[in-house]
Amino acid sequence: MSDRPLPTETPPEPAAEQGDRFAALYPSEEGIRAQVARRQRVATGWRVAFLAATSLAVVILSTLLLSIINQSFGLVAEQTDIPEAQLVADHYKSQVLGATNVLLATEDDADIAAGIAADANGIGLLGYAVYADNGAALQALSVDGVAPTAETVATGTYPLTRPLLLYSSAAILSDKPQVAAFLLYTLQHAEEVMSELGAFPADATALAEQAAALATTLGLDPAAPIDPAAYEGDIVISGSSTLNPVTREIARRFRGEGFQGAIKISSVGTVAGFEAFCAESADLVDASRPITTVETAACAANNLTPLSVQVGLDPVVVAVNSANTFAADVNGEQLAALFTTATNWSEVVAGWPADAIHRFLPTTDSGTMDVFVNTVFGGRTLADLPYDALVQIFKANVTAGRCRAIEAEQRFYADSFVCDTEEAFTARCQSDAAPTGCVLEPRDKGSLVALIQADVVNPVVQQAWFLAESLFRREEIMAEARQAYPTADVHFRRWLTLDFLTRPQSSQPELAGVRTAILGSLWVVAIGILVGFPVGVGAAIYLEEYADKRRRFNRFIQTNINNLAGVPSIIYGLLGLTVFVRVLEPITSGAVFGVGDATTANGRTILSAGLTLALLILPVIIISAQEAIKAVPSSLREASLGLGATKWQTIWNHVVPNAIGGIMTGVILAMSRIIGETAPLVVVGASTFITTDPTGPFSKFTTLPTQIFQWTSRPQQTFLLIAGAAIIVLLVLLFILNAFAIYLRNRYARRIG
Amino acid sequence: MENLTVLPPRGEAGSSRAGTVNAPDVPDLSRRHRIGERTIESGLFIAAAVSILTTIGIVAILLEEALRFFADERVTVVNFLTDTTWQPQANHFGILPLLNATLMITAIALLVAIPLGLASAVFLSEYASPRVRGLLKPALEMLAGVPTVVYGYFALTFVTAILRAVLGKDIVQIYNVASAGLVVGVLITPLIASLSEDALHAVPNSLREAAYGVGATRFETAVKVVLPAALSGVAAALVVAISRAFGETMVVAIAAGAGPKLTWNPFESAETMTGYMVRISGGDLSYESLDYKSIYAIGLVVFAVTLLLNIISQRIVARFREVYE
Repeated sequence: MSDRPLPTETPPEPAAEQGDRFAALYPSEEGIRAQVARRQRVATGWRVAFLAATSLAVVILSTLLLSIINQSFGLVAEQTDIPEAQLVADHYKSQVLGATNVLLATEDDADIAAGIAADANGIGLLGYAVYADNGAALQALSVDGVAPTAETVATGTYPLTRPLLLYSSAAILSDKPQVAAFLLYTLQHAEEVMSELGAFPADATALAEQAAALATTLGLDPAAPIDPAAYEGDIVISGSSTLNPVTREIARRFRGEGFQGAIKISSVGTVAGFEAFCAESADLVDASRPITTVETAACAANNLTPLSVQVGLDPVVVAVNSANTFAADVNGEQLAALFTTATNWSEVVAGWPADAIHRFLPTTDSGTMDVFVNTVFGGRTLADLPYDALVQIFKANVTAGRCRAIEAEQRFYADSFVCDTEEAFTARCQSDAAPTGCVLEPRDKGSLVALIQADVVNPVVQQAWFLAESLFRREEIMAEARQAYPTADVHFRRWLTLDFLTRPQSSQPELAGVRTAILGSLWVVAIGILVGFPVGVGAAIYLEEYADKRRRFNRFIQTNINNLAGVPSIIYGLLGLTVFVRVLEPITSGAVFGVGDATTANGRTILSAGLTLALLILPVIIISAQEAIKAVPSSLREASLGLGATKWQTIWNHVVPNAIGGIMTGVILAMSRIIGETAPLVVVGASTFITTDPTGPFSKFTTLPTQIFQWTSRPQQTFLLIAGAAIIVLLVLLFILNAFAIYLRNRYARRIG
Repeated sequence: MENLTVLPPRGEAGSSRAGTVNAPDVPDLSRRHRIGERTIESGLFIAAAVSILTTIGIVAILLEEALRFFADERVTVVNFLTDTTWQPQANHFGILPLLNATLMITAIALLVAIPLGLASAVFLSEYASPRVRGLLKPALEMLAGVPTVVYGYFALTFVTAILRAVLGKDIVQIYNVASAGLVVGVLITPLIASLSEDALHAVPNSLREAAYGVGATRFETAVKVVLPAALSGVAAALVVAISRAFGETMVVAIAAGAGPKLTWNPFESAETMTGYMVRISGGDLSYESLDYKSIYAIGLVVFAVTLLLNIISQRIVARFREVYE
């Protein structure tokens, strides 16, 4: 008996041995504690790691969205050939100068004052200084209830106010110390002189600050007054008649304090003043408005970088004869009528006399006119101009050849040519085989505005900054941009605008939009769903309700569908290219039906693309519809069959209505999948540049994602920015679809549950 | 209970006909030949057969055009498989540079996606409270629903910019394999996370409770009990993700660059198979040109590899699935 002696033969010793074995199997208390602590540390460590990884995945999602938003907004330096605002202002100036009874149009305010003073029906625009000199013979109209007085001008409530500026350049100031001295002297004495003359000086602190800044850059002592006797050489000043009396008076004092050189002052108007300055024949410009980008560009051509100081403010006075008893206050609309459309006073305000308005105006070059037009017609765009005016603007600003080419494409007017002769019109448009340009409806205003935007305004974004840096480094960027692109307009731009949604594709990214692409996407997706939905649901019903799963063939169909779901989408593109574009070309190009045209005859049409996408989403629809049908309890089928309904009646009246929520969710998910699908459409479509809206299933097409792809393949940065904006459009579209799918799922899930 | 016994069969209405069930003037409806029913069934069968036709179509056109490609005297199969350059003008048709770029991108993508995706799946299934899970899982699924062209844009404008800022513009080219690979990784992360999470979530709680009962920590339970139990689902998810990365097109077409190049440097540009297909088919091509035929030969390779991976994934699920009651 081996087991009996064992307990006796192993007294304390074996017991200890057993204790050791026990100790080896079960560690000491400290050991257990240490082990537990270690395991807990490991567990905590991994917990943190898992949390970090998950957070990282979510952070990447947010980064993706933020980086796209970051690129779709921001500062841009935009260069235009002719700014839109200038085209509009020029139009209204010509309206004002082309109105009836313009008795005088002159650069000299004094002549305007004299003219109005001598004419009881006279009205005109002039600077305040000259108006003040002729106080007795004239009276100023108040605008919107505000009369031009020292107070209203200083507080900015009087609308027709402009800055009075002196322009020079750093180069001139360092080359000719006498010019710098005169400019500084002007700043130091402007307040005194202008107040004496009854003009409106700029704020005293602003003048002092500008003087100090100028003195510092010139290396002079800001506190010390200028001693004219210390300077010699000539000074040539040119420009606005409004600032002229002030400059004259300051020059008189400058000479009076011992200046030996000659000072030549001419009153030629602000525009002519800048012309002289940029042509290097004037040192200083009296300006009654800021320099324009076009003028800056002209100066830049001569390596002159304009630099300005503001010396005063000038209200433009709408003056009438002092004998005029009826007119005292006008609003913006009445002002517009007074200077453009109205012939008689009675047309402006009922009750005013039916006498002709006699107009005394400054010329188109004067700052007074600029202020008037910018105030009264400010904020209007090309779209506010009449069609005829737009045609004239287009014709005046493009070459004759371009104008003719555009007109040959599509006419401006139904019955005549603008850019070509009467004979050409007769020969082309009244022949039997009139080209499409003569058959199409004449252009509409929207397309004409777009044409002017592209050909005349021609905006080019020289550089763009992303949203984050635009917000945090705004000042630096502004300075940088002025340095790098002196003639460009630096402003904040949203790339995603309503215009962006409604404009067609264009070769200029600044003017391009996604309308064509959105329409293309909708067409393609609609065809894809219309074909894919019935086929997919039909297949799902067959597989779930009819197919005998024991049969090999039916199991093969099921496996096959699972495999198709994993085929890369570009392979479907190759399938579509071969089958729909090449083999079925007569059908997909519309040739069989006698529709479609030569440009789409190669079969790369919306129909081909839609059918390709239908095949692509078939597995997705089938699998989700199968799931939905499986979820319908078989008791429903049995009940229906038990009542004698046929199989189809059971499916149609009981299975499908109960599964429809799940089926619809699947369809919408499929839709959101093909809205973003790109690769097969690039293969099937191959369209590089489509600007016309699709008109039907046989049109050539572009879609939102293919458009994004093409824009990202362009080297210019601006195309990347509009691609970002287009991505936001695409994501919003997707988001709406997904939200709709979730809504449907919840709604139907509740009903069945 | 009498009216129960006199109910007419097959839904015929009215008690007036009660008791006339076996009268000879009532036709036997179950024998009626229903043409409509048969037609509908045939129609539905055709709908189901469309998927078969699609597969046949894909295989047939890929094979046919690929054969036309190899039938060209300038191309040989050996050349196609072994030549290390792809220069159609110079009669070099080696798929290696394209294949190499595809594999590099797939590898980089997996390096990113496997740790991220698996960790997210474990976290969502084993650690997260139901509320956190309910928030994060749809967020990940939304990430999976973002169109790939958007990921391509993200790679080009964001990831490449960061790589260039960090590593230097001399080292990282504007178009490079690394940024495309990283972003493809981001793209397949939600796929791995979502599918693996489904598999982990399906493991019955009794296993977890048993593990806790013998004193395992949560981490030990997750990694040593739940993960092995769900291994087939997780492996299938990984294989599907590889297939997805292999066939991914838009990200690489946008960010990896144009021009096949055999390189091991991930910061250089190199065109992948799918990128090549997009570039060539994006232009207007003559259907007889060798370039046109070549995209089918390459398409055949892509199709074969992804199909193989998908079949492997389905086999894994079918064979190694643990069934718990």
